[in-house]
Amino acid sequence: MFFSQLGYYSLIFGLIFSFLLIFVSYKDLKIINHSINSKIISFVFFQLFFVFLSFICLIISFINSDFSNVTVYNNSHTTKPLFYKISGSWGNHEGSLLLCLLVLTLFIFIFLITSKKEPKKFRIITLLFQQIIIIGFFLFLLITSNPFSYLFPIPKEGLGLNPILQDPILAIHPPILYLGYIGSSIIFSSSLAAITQNYVNNKWAKNLKSWTVISWFFLTIGIMLGSIWAYYELGWGGFWFWDPVENISLMPWLCLIALIHSVIVLEKRSQLASWTLILCISSFTLSMSGTFLVRSGILNSVHTFANDPKRGIFILIFLFILILISIFIFFIFYKPITKDQKNFLYSRETSILINNWFMMYFLSVILIGTVYPIFLEVIADEKISVGPPFYNKLLIPFLIPFLILMAIGPNIKWIQDDIKLFNLRLIFLFLISVLISYFVLIIIGLNGLFTTFLIGVALYLLVTTISDFFIKKKINLSQKISHFGFSLLILSIILNGIFSSEISTNIKVGEKYKFKHGIIYFEEVKNFKKQNYISVVTTFRIKEDNKKEIFLKPELRIFNQPENITSEADIKINFFSDKFLVVNLVKGNEYYNIKYQTKPFMIWIWLSTIILASGGLINFFQRKLNEK
Amino acid sequence: MNYLKIKILIVLVFLLFHSNAQSENIDLVNKISKNIRCLICQGQSVYDSQSDFAISMKIAIKKKIQEGYTENQIYDYLIGQYGEWISYNPGFNKNTIFLWLLPILTFIVGGWLIFKKTKFFKL
Repeated sequence: MFFSQLGYYSLIFGLIFSFLLIFVSYKDLKIINHSINSKIISFVFFQLFFVFLSFICLIISFINSDFSNVTVYNNSHTTKPLFYKISGSWGNHEGSLLLCLLVLTLFIFIFLITSKKEPKKFRIITLLFQQIIIIGFFLFLLITSNPFSYLFPIPKEGLGLNPILQDPILAIHPPILYLGYIGSSIIFSSSLAAITQNYVNNKWAKNLKSWTVISWFFLTIGIMLGSIWAYYELGWGGFWFWDPVENISLMPWLCLIALIHSVIVLEKRSQLASWTLILCISSFTLSMSGTFLVRSGILNSVHTFANDPKRGIFILIFLFILILISIFIFFIFYKPITKDQKNFLYSRETSILINNWFMMYFLSVILIGTVYPIFLEVIADEKISVGPPFYNKLLIPFLIPFLILMAIGPNIKWIQDDIKLFNLRLIFLFLISVLISYFVLIIIGLNGLFTTFLIGVALYLLVTTISDFFIKKKINLSQKISHFGFSLLILSIILNGIFSSEISTNIKVGEKYKFKHGIIYFEEVKNFKKQNYISVVTTFRIKEDNKKEIFLKPELRIFNQPENITSEADIKINFFSDKFLVVNLVKGNEYYNIKYQTKPFMIWIWLSTIILASGGLINFFQRKLNEK
Repeated sequence: MNYLKIKILIVLVFLLFHSNAQSENIDLVNKISKNIRCLICQGQSVYDSQSDFAISMKIAIKKKIQEGYTENQIYDYLIGQYGEWISYNPGFNKNTIFLWLLPILTFIVGGWLIFKKTKFFKL
């Protein structure tokens, strides 16, 4: 009760500080000196404090199971473990928005205290644009999604959190993902501020790059955590489903990759300024559109947990305002610093442009694949589904030239390189990679020109990156690590796709099932009473030809609040291959449906994503060290 | 004696083919069910879902394969029954022209823009 009230009024205080900040900043803009008014920084701090307080209040309400709060009532239950009571506070629509707001205010505070070397006006105007976004979120929370709504009479028990969300990885997945999404808000605000201040130059690019890599880092890790969760909890061994919500996270991700590359050209060569600005604006707009599509319930997806047309319309209006502001500022204020000149074909500039070209293509495939069905339904009243076959057909063939160019690109010098330098080493490595891929596929008994080339070029990127690492005197460590991680990721995904195998059958306790390469024994079933569910643990013994016997214990969890059964796979993780077993009840008899899968290189997918992301983190810290 | 041998051989060959056909069937059911939407679920394929709809759908697909339908015939059959919404693989028709062409167009326009911004010779 008390904490709900406190949380609600903290939000209102936070909103008041937004208006105070706009007023103080406006006055401070007219004063010409180097440092910004200390009031501004303390106001931003107070705003952060109040939003934080409000967030803590929500968490306390969840811990106390205060069912006079509608959000708590809808998403919690007294028997839920403490950890999930806490994570449940952001595992719902209202709470997740409050978390977004917290990150927004946190980031602008960090921006202000770390940008002391930047021009005063640029900092203040960035703050102003950020405040527009913050006000939008405040109003959205207070008007349509108040996390502290009051419920009377007070229910004795809550409705509980969706069991599939009661998972340690899913507890940290949203906060990390939001750090990535909301990080792009700073990119957005600072790019608009830079336009108005005519500050779109290499100095600005330097500061921008740190925000870009760190947002991208969090987004990558956030997406990966979601994918790991889907692998063991949601899917039957799949890790990416081309679900609209997954696609939506991928769009700003691709946009940020394009930005990470184009901003280098701006920093080093003072070129591509307008293109970089467009990417800055798009990455945040795409993040926001994602929020709109998910929260409005337009999309048919596993993630739509709260939808309400009123909310959809609010976000849509907000989105339009943001886009209008950015278009207006871009076209009215923007004066290009240098005339963009033509680049030579064999130059780093062109190779980075080619990276952006492919990123925009991948982005367009995903964007169109995701929104096209919505438009078609509105315009022609026809319902179509766009799923994995569409994305595979349009994305995979383009990976071949992309991976080749990605291997060559970092070897090309700025401004102009000699064609002569287009050297033997690169051609030799290419031939070797394709040959290895060819022979490996022949040994395994697979063939096909396309697969040979696909694996070949992924291998090519891998060996080229490694060879660059040892040959070059001056290496760009973060770039090498990220490219290496990416090649490993693509390779693992392809090999995983080709070599995965599965067996599915119905079986009861005490029975065995023979398959091509072995036998599965169903040993026993045991029931355990847990805090808020009944756990049915099944034990299987699996003997495969020429392999050690393994035991797998997949589990079924029967929840009461809300009534639901989740199926927890048991996975034997191995360096080269995962063994994945999942059970399900067959209605009306004692048989269990089991699915036993062999998933090669699964762990490599996660490891290579971590390597890919760590390149970004290394780049971030290198920059921070160089500044000092 | 010879006759018996031949009989055993025939049975063995039959069993071999039969078991092979069986496992191929299962692979094909899996492949098809991955491309079919579970109509009562939120964004899951028939393959990924354990709902009643998905289970009966898998049985239906298996039956169609046994009846000798090819993969494409099964898709056509299901689309005829439930509409385009059920298939994750949008075909190329008047409704989906732009779905397929817009990304390709993006690629072409992007390539053209880069081409315009590139010098090919030393000047």
